[in-house]
Amino acid sequence: MTTRRRFALGLGVIVVPLVLALLGPLLTGEPGPRATSFTLGGGHWLGTDFVGRDVWQQVLLGGRTVVVTALAATALAYLVAVPVALMSALTRVRWLEELLMRPLDVLLAVPSLLLILLVASVLAPGAVGLALLVALVNVPDAARIVRAAAGEAAARPAVEALRMQGESRWRIAVGYVGRSALRTLAADAGIRLTGVLYLVSTAAFLGVGVAPDAADWAVMVDRNRTGLFVQPWAVVVPALLIVALTTGTNLLFDAALEKNQTDKRGRRP
Amino acid sequence: MSGLRSFVARRLLLGALQTVAVVLLVFALTEALPGDAAVALAGDQPDPARIAAIREAMDLDRPAYERLAGWATGLLHGDLGTSLTSGRPVAHYIADGFGPTLLLATLTLALLVPIGFGLGVLAARHEGRLVDRLVSSVTLAVYAVPEFALGVLLVTVLAIKLAWLPPTALGYGTDLLAHPAALVLPVLVLLSRPVCSLSRLVRAGMVDALASPYAAHARRYGVPGARVRYTHALPNALAPAVQQLARTVDWLLCGVIVVEALFVIPGLGTVLLNAVAERDVPVVQGLAVVFGVLTVVLNLGADLVAHRLTPRAGVAA
Amino acid sequence: MHDERFPGLRRRGFLAATTGAAALALVGCGGGTDDKAAGGSGTPKRGGRLRAAFAGGGASETLDPHLANLFADVARAKALFDKLADYGADLSAEPRLAEKWEADKGLDRWQVTLRQATFHDGKPVTAKDVLYSYRRIADPKQAFRAKASLEPIDLDASRATGERSIEFVLKRPTAEFPNILAAFGAYIVPENATEFDKKPIGSGPFRFVSFTPGRSAVFRRYDDHWDGAPLLDEIEFVVANEESARVNALLGGQVEYAHELNPTTARAHEGKGQIEIVRLRNSAMQAFCMKTDRAPFDDKRVREAFFLIADRQELVDGALSGAGEVGNDLFGKGYEYYAADLPQREQDLDRARALLKQAGAEKLKVTLDTSAVAAGFTEAAGIFRDQAAKAGVTIDVKMGSKDSYWSDILDGGTLSCYRSGAMPIEAHISQRLLTDSTTNATKWQHKDFDALYQQAQATRDKTERAAVYERMQRRLYSEGGFLIWGFADWIIGTAKTVKGVETKAPANTLDWARFDKVWLA
Repeated sequence: MTTRRRFALGLGVIVVPLVLALLGPLLTGEPGPRATSFTLGGGHWLGTDFVGRDVWQQVLLGGRTVVVTALAATALAYLVAVPVALMSALTRVRWLEELLMRPLDVLLAVPSLLLILLVASVLAPGAVGLALLVALVNVPDAARIVRAAAGEAAARPAVEALRMQGESRWRIAVGYVGRSALRTLAADAGIRLTGVLYLVSTAAFLGVGVAPDAADWAVMVDRNRTGLFVQPWAVVVPALLIVALTTGTNLLFDAALEKNQTDKRGRRP
Repeated sequence: MSGLRSFVARRLLLGALQTVAVVLLVFALTEALPGDAAVALAGDQPDPARIAAIREAMDLDRPAYERLAGWATGLLHGDLGTSLTSGRPVAHYIADGFGPTLLLATLTLALLVPIGFGLGVLAARHEGRLVDRLVSSVTLAVYAVPEFALGVLLVTVLAIKLAWLPPTALGYGTDLLAHPAALVLPVLVLLSRPVCSLSRLVRAGMVDALASPYAAHARRYGVPGARVRYTHALPNALAPAVQQLARTVDWLLCGVIVVEALFVIPGLGTVLLNAVAERDVPVVQGLAVVFGVLTVVLNLGADLVAHRLTPRAGVAA
Repeated sequence: MHDERFPGLRRRGFLAATTGAAALALVGCGGGTDDKAAGGSGTPKRGGRLRAAFAGGGASETLDPHLANLFADVARAKALFDKLADYGADLSAEPRLAEKWEADKGLDRWQVTLRQATFHDGKPVTAKDVLYSYRRIADPKQAFRAKASLEPIDLDASRATGERSIEFVLKRPTAEFPNILAAFGAYIVPENATEFDKKPIGSGPFRFVSFTPGRSAVFRRYDDHWDGAPLLDEIEFVVANEESARVNALLGGQVEYAHELNPTTARAHEGKGQIEIVRLRNSAMQAFCMKTDRAPFDDKRVREAFFLIADRQELVDGALSGAGEVGNDLFGKGYEYYAADLPQREQDLDRARALLKQAGAEKLKVTLDTSAVAAGFTEAAGIFRDQAAKAGVTIDVKMGSKDSYWSDILDGGTLSCYRSGAMPIEAHISQRLLTDSTTNATKWQHKDFDALYQQAQATRDKTERAAVYERMQRRLYSEGGFLIWGFADWIIGTAKTVKGVETKAPANTLDWARFDKVWLA
């Protein structure tokens, strides 16, 4: 498969959730009257949700928060984790490495949901706070994985060679080590995005961030689960959109990596 | 080797400090939660006089630091304290919950490692081809399916419609080994996500390693493909995967609440959930100690593996 | 008196659903204990073991009946122990261990005669056991749930007048004294019993076999039970907190009885022939609670406006998925003394707006406290927020911690979600609506209302008493603090083989979760 076709595939998969997320809120009208929850028919072509609202309308409204919060939280997690991990992988000062990585292990030892629950009930954050919190919970985990991938690259003789050639630390870190860890990072990012999505929805149910009946795909999957056998669309449609979003993001990542490496090496092994 | 030993010693010392930090953090956060054990116990009958009486009976009227100090002193003597709600020893709570959790974790891990690595290597070998695409996209899609949905689906099809397996472990108590059929579905659900994340990391690491100059060198010198793959590329791909594996084991041991609830398996996750809901601080702290120690040991193990693998990367090239 | 709201620990995953299509007989037509609708056909058969799945309390569970807090606790307690009285389907007290009760002229001294009954160790149930049990509950150093219910009894002055007769001395006239005997958790244990988890002895229809907290409790038929031996050989209570687990276990034949199901589950399986669905009507009152002592609800026009904002059918359909009935701002639909003649309130947004304008409360902003503590709470809050917006009222929904919710809303906030299990209307008033009530969440404190309650309690004649209760309810209907929008069904699933399950008893009454009359076909 050519890189171009891969791009096309990724775009094809991601375009539906993205368009729905970005344009959905513009397409919806005033909310109609509520019906009995978890029923089909009555002008609701995807049925009604757990509080009797039209599922299709919720689908249209529910993409934006997912895309914004989850993407922001994931990006933020890496924004912190990657520099910390690279610095710790490249430094030769042991205590600096320990100083960077060990405090993260403390966070790691507290189950993430418990941490969110506890911190959130003390600080009562809004949507922005929630994104920060979810990002925070993901930092230690992401940092360890990036650190491990970068550690392998940093130990290569090439790094030594670059160092001796007088390349700046910055260039080594970003240009060589960071680049080598990119694939692992991308693989990790794909699954992390999904994890973040559901963490946001669970937090919503616990009263953190968005409202428990908010129009949000992940919240919809979570809250409509009781009606799975009576009115499956309320779960299936948002779940498929999330799958499409994450799969599409990953396909695009993969394609971009491919292109990057093809350009660099000019051939595939 | 002495370097390694001092590394381990230093990390164990750090680990002890980390565990203390975890316990302090959890204690502070639990204390900061709205309500205490008395309020939680009073539930929907929050008569202030009654809450005061319960508080007194539980010794909750003492200041927080005194209670923490009392508990810590007990801990030094190996006593994890007693539950506020029931008055039973915390050690019983943990011992009861640990059996099912350990069993599930072991079984899951025993299957996870071969499947996760197998799929990752398979995808990496056929990089860019149909098998790779299939593995990559299926794992990603499965990962995006919430556990409860997968669980409900499996139960409905395999247990209710086909009646091949029992739908839950209800009534089997802690002796789950006597009912192996009841373990199949929980393990399947537990496997679903870690297999995906692990195989993706293995694939990414392998692809990188196979594309690296030393692998190309090795090939040029006529080293057979399989040898390059398994003795050179795979170990290099391991470091991130091992980190992920450690996280997975941690997750398996620290309570997999959804699976425990769905299949009625009374493990540590259930104990934790109940203890937080009841504001049963000694039980929460006891669990924090256990989880803290487990995490420290597992992360240390993962780092040791990485430590051993990383220098080799330099040698192999 | 006794608090019988649905006790604690509601886990996520409970939701409402279903149009309450099942046409069940009206509640409140007498005792109804003989109507076993669910498979009343066939002759009762002895034998077999029934496994019943309940949501439970985890590793902290106990068999101490005075500590009963959750449904699972109560179900186990009523299998092992008896109370002197218990509630019928209309929440009036029916004699159980007490054979009869009789008041003196002043209604502050009651003679109670016990029936001939024996504990599981063969010893008779005596007046001493009763007094010991009540004194244990009322122990000021303890905090047993039923303590507040027993408050009217002067236990120091009460005494045994014979082997099986007791004279209860009360602190004031109490016409509804039998309700106290039926109070939630007022079980009779043998004299000097303090330990209940190893080998509890009771007088109930089943005797102890084994107990693992948070997992399972096995009890065996007690052949000498005064009410006749149960039909089942054994009953096992198993704990499954997740609703889907209870349903799956029932469908997969791992249990024969699953307590507390979602309306959607009921709808998915009702009439499909795989399992039986039993709906206990009028089981859970659903309300919004307005604090009448603070702005904006200290103005009764604002309260009335809120009564008129609620579209009750939409709330029942959306938050309970149709599995319930609309409420009329009065507690206890279908129960004894319920003022059924008052007109059903309907949504009237124009009038609501006009009232708010009169009260100078246009563009009103209120915070509505809610929490995942009970099924339908967060749903109801969201729906009411949207309804209020149509009347120009901005409601800000605030999610609170489910573990401390009831305590948080008792004194804090202005508007909150509320619910209550079945209890006599008199108990609802005495616990929540008097100046010195312990859980007065609406802050309804009126001397004249208190006086009416005392008048009712001092009225011997039942018709006259009913008239006083009606006056009190009229007042609450027009200006009370509880906006009671619905009554939820309580849903139970059973295997097809289970017969004799009572279908008309609201949760918390005698015939709910009662297994001594159940049999396996």
